[in-house]
Amino acid sequence: MSDPDAIDCHAAADQLYEYLDGELSPTVESQIRAHLADCAPCFGLFDFEETYLRFLEARTRAQGAPAHLRRRILDELFQHPEQPPRS
Amino acid sequence: MSQPPSPDREGFEREALVHLDAVYRTALRLSGSPMEAEDLAQETMFKAFRGWHQYEAGTNAKAWLLTILRNTFINRYRRTKQRPEMVDITEIEPYTVFHDVQDASPAQTFFDRLVDDEVLRAIDALPEDFREVLVLSDVEGLTYAEIAASIEAPVGTVKSRLFRARQLLQRELYDYAVEAGYIEQRRDRP
Repeated sequence: MSDPDAIDCHAAADQLYEYLDGELSPTVESQIRAHLADCAPCFGLFDFEETYLRFLEARTRAQGAPAHLRRRILDELFQHPEQPPRS
Repeated sequence: MSQPPSPDREGFEREALVHLDAVYRTALRLSGSPMEAEDLAQETMFKAFRGWHQYEAGTNAKAWLLTILRNTFINRYRRTKQRPEMVDITEIEPYTVFHDVQDASPAQTFFDRLVDDEVLRAIDALPEDFREVLVLSDVEGLTYAEIAASIEAPVGTVKSRLFRARQLLQRELYDYAVEAGYIEQRRDRP
């Protein structure tokens, strides 16, 4: 007996990133989760792409604003509050 | 003439300035220059300060600031620039490198050996429309709806651009990793 709610590999792959981004409805999300539990190739793909997205975040967020920029903004805004900067 | 009240220093630091790193980082990815990024980040914060009454409390302040940044960037630079990348967006054939990294090298090697600068350089080389959604989503963590509002495009456009941007970047990083000798090329590829 096949589950009427079951989705195939193609449908799962179509929603790969929406699934990983948490952008799907709970119903569709659980359909995909069920498919991944049964399908090793799709599980491998989803796992790879999830690692990729975590890798992107980890490699791109170290860079911060220079300290002097924060100081300059605060000085401009709050040293002379009667004259907000016009830039 | 009554002006809406400006935020106090503590409130502004807590709600807005806490996102200065994100604003600066994004400005750097958009403009490609540390000097312009500082300038854009500063102007964004000044505009946010003056327009504070337009910020809806409880919504994502970071998304609001990044939208101001984007508009500032467009007004300043894009007006005079051509956007040649507009034409080839749909020409790019997206596909995952997942299958390529299976045989020759483990996927983990591919991710572990690439350092920050190499990844950032590859992002900076993406066409602007792709770079923008990828940075807002994958670096700054905005939702599809927040990105759609920010770039004034339908959610469907965000989805398809993001898909292509991620696959394109993945492909670039993979080719780079092979070239740099970080990972082995899959044997059956020419």
